[in-house]
Amino acid sequence: MTEAILFYPMALVAIGGALGMIVSRNPVHGAMFLVLSFFGIASIYVLLAAELIAALQVIVYAGAIMVLFVFVIMLLNLHEDDLERPRLTPGTILGGAAALAFWMISFMIFADLPDQTMPVELSEGFGKVASVGRLIFGPFILPFESTSILLLVAMVGAIVVAKPRI
Amino acid sequence: MDWLSGMNPAEGLQGALRWIVLFPLFGAAVNGLLGKRLGRANVHLVACGAVFASFVISAIALYTVSFGDASRITDLWWRWFSIGGVPVEMSLTIDRLSAVMMCVVTGVGFLIHIFSTEYMSHDEGYWRYFAYLNLFVAAMSLLVLGSNLLVMFVGWEGVGLASYLLIGFWYTDEEKAFAGRKAFVVNRVGDFGFLLGIFTLVGLFGTIDFEQLQALAASITPDAVLDAGIFSGWTLGAVITMACLFLFLGATGKSAQLPLYVWLPDAMAGPTPVSALIHAATMVTAGVYMVARLSFLYAWSPTAMATVAVVGALTAIFAALMAYAQNDIKKVLAYSTVSQLGFMFIGVGVGAWWAAIYHLVTHAFFKACLFLGSGSVMHAMRDETDIRLFGGLRKEMWHTWATFGISTIAITGVLPLSGFFSKDAILHGAHANPNIFFPWVPTFTYLIGLVAALSTSFYMWRMFHLTFHGERRGMLEHRAHEGGNAMVGPLWILAGLAVGSAVWGLPLSGGARFENFLEPVFRAADENIARMTALGAEKLGVPVPHEPAHDFAAMLPGYLIALVVALIGFGIAWYLYLGPGKQIPAKIAQGAPAVYRAFANKFYVDEFYRAVVVVPLHTTARFLWRVVDSFIIDKLFVNGSAVLTGWMAQLFRYFQDGNVQRYAVVMAVSAVVILWVFLG
Amino acid sequence: MGSVPLSHYLALGSALFAVGFAALLVRRNALVVFMGVELMLNAANMTFLAFSRAHQTMSGQAAAFFVIAVAAAEAAVGLAIMIALVRNRNTLNVDEVDTLKY
Repeated sequence: MTEAILFYPMALVAIGGALGMIVSRNPVHGAMFLVLSFFGIASIYVLLAAELIAALQVIVYAGAIMVLFVFVIMLLNLHEDDLERPRLTPGTILGGAAALAFWMISFMIFADLPDQTMPVELSEGFGKVASVGRLIFGPFILPFESTSILLLVAMVGAIVVAKPRI
Repeated sequence: MDWLSGMNPAEGLQGALRWIVLFPLFGAAVNGLLGKRLGRANVHLVACGAVFASFVISAIALYTVSFGDASRITDLWWRWFSIGGVPVEMSLTIDRLSAVMMCVVTGVGFLIHIFSTEYMSHDEGYWRYFAYLNLFVAAMSLLVLGSNLLVMFVGWEGVGLASYLLIGFWYTDEEKAFAGRKAFVVNRVGDFGFLLGIFTLVGLFGTIDFEQLQALAASITPDAVLDAGIFSGWTLGAVITMACLFLFLGATGKSAQLPLYVWLPDAMAGPTPVSALIHAATMVTAGVYMVARLSFLYAWSPTAMATVAVVGALTAIFAALMAYAQNDIKKVLAYSTVSQLGFMFIGVGVGAWWAAIYHLVTHAFFKACLFLGSGSVMHAMRDETDIRLFGGLRKEMWHTWATFGISTIAITGVLPLSGFFSKDAILHGAHANPNIFFPWVPTFTYLIGLVAALSTSFYMWRMFHLTFHGERRGMLEHRAHEGGNAMVGPLWILAGLAVGSAVWGLPLSGGARFENFLEPVFRAADENIARMTALGAEKLGVPVPHEPAHDFAAMLPGYLIALVVALIGFGIAWYLYLGPGKQIPAKIAQGAPAVYRAFANKFYVDEFYRAVVVVPLHTTARFLWRVVDSFIIDKLFVNGSAVLTGWMAQLFRYFQDGNVQRYAVVMAVSAVVILWVFLG
Repeated sequence: MGSVPLSHYLALGSALFAVGFAALLVRRNALVVFMGVELMLNAANMTFLAFSRAHQTMSGQAAAFFVIAVAAAEAAVGLAIMIALVRNRNTLNVDEVDTLKY
């Protein structure tokens, strides 16, 4: 019950933020909307008993990535007339239609699934930091180490690409 | 002779026959490949030696078949192939007929080789010349010695090739090269007929071997209707007639008869010894030889024989008329050759087989002598051929004058030289041999033959007088001198043979010696003629005519008429060109210019062929080249497919516009479609 | 008993994915396109976690963990590319960046 009360409003927030992102002309506005959407998504993560991930969502995604986005938008110093004018081309219409069609198809598929209810009682420490930590230092050690190298490479790549002169 | 028969020459000869062909063939190969490096003397040695070796073997063969045990020797070289149950073997046969031909070919060939060593001594390509000459002798031997029609055809084509190579010997001169091409192409038309004839015979008899054909021909009933094979529904006689006519078409090509004679006058573009050997003595007689070889078959087709005789007669007179207005010494002799070949075909056409062959032999001697004589004159007069510029050469070139004169007497048919006997034997056969199927043929051919003989006498003596007698008209500062021994020697030998071969034609009791000599060869043919005549007499309700007599008394009237005719010709020529009537020829030419031009332009036959045959072919070829090949195939299909590919590529290129988002849209739409199809 | 069935969570996830996809296909500003990509990644995370709870296994959460890490790295590099793009072509309009063509 509580779950439903929390789920549907937060879902609305998530979707609303996403739609706001997609329609706003100014990319800064879009980034703000996206942050709102991420907050909504983080709340739903909590409902899904993924507390660490929810926390990481806020810290990393909303806090670091979107901040980076806003930094770059500011850096690029767009003028008012540089902002795009909405244009309705066949490509746009097709794209929108394709996305919509995709959602409808998936919706139809989910509707066919038997009504599977979520379990309420989960194991001790499900979704807590310790459990996730045990996983990433256990069975998922290889992805973990690779990810660290990936982050290193991404850092170097970002610096090299964005530098004015190599 | 005992030690000879002890050796069993027939057996030894069997293996030696192939060497008649191989010696000159190897000679051609050696001279052709190494001639340039061998030097003149060696080239001459190889070439003349090869032909002489062939001559020796031919002579031995002639002796063997005349006096030995075997009258026919066959050398089965190898089995070539077998098709549809018909075996085709490379095999050579020698009997009296082919032995005589071979001796003429190799003997006269040898003399001409000797003559050529001096005549061609200034030419750069002498090694090529001798190679081709040897090649010719090899091919001609193959033609004569072949045991079946296919080997003969190989030789037939081979001499055509050699003729083409030799006519166009000086190929850098366009006209001469074209003359060679003309000879080859016209021959090809004839060869087509020859091939059709071979096919017909294969279809009818299932064999191409002469001996087998002769055996089969003995039991032919010409009215039998065939009921099997491709000729079902035809009578046997009709098919045989068709085959003979096809083969004769080939003969008209090779032996320069109407309508395919046009290549022979142009062939004079080649070196004169070539004209002597190929276009007088040997190659052009191949047609006559072929008809004689198949005499047993022609005997069953009176239609074909009449056609042969009539074509021969018409050719004889037509060519003789063309020779009237010619001023080129070689062209006169060329037309003379065509005319004399017509005589030979009259001979085979009326069934006087031995007479035609006899005339072939004597003609080879005196015509070769005439051609070599003209070569001698040309050699002395810096290759000039216009007789209007000659005159009075008798004083400067006595040997040539003498031999030329002897040969002219021979060709015009004056006693006691061989030409008289051979030509008269033909004429006698023409009017004496009865023909119940076409009763007008004897009289027709005889009269035409007489007129042709008169013409021969006239134009030959005209040429002789203009060239050797009187005063020099042109090139006055040039002093002509005789050639060396290599040129004069063969002239005298040939002239001597022209005289001596008269012996074989003397009508002693029981017919001429030559006639009796060849009787075994033509016995089958004569028997078939007798049978055919009997059948015809039955059908037509006419009494069977009896054999004409061949002894002296029967032939005397004919002799006298022929002699008178020859002398009339001599008289007219002397009067017009040497005697008091010197102005008359010019007056005739001025008085009737159109007629004179018609004569001088050979009655416009070449122009006619050009308009009717050559130009349409040319136009068709040009059309095929420009439209079909250049445009349709090259432009439309080859270039067109490339252009089409280009267009398609241009079209597809617009799908890649660099707009990544567009790509994503396409991917999205495709993904949706796939999902829909597979999950919906 | 959870009152929100699994399919609702999945529907939400696919809706978010569709919106992100639409942003990718429709908008012409390269930054907005990139934000759509981030949204799609989040939708995938949502699905992972929904199933993780449904099947009561932690591997989904480990996966989501790594997705976030990779997304961070990718965002950094992507934005660096945008900076380089603006520096060279002076435009963020996706339609004008079309030199990868014939």
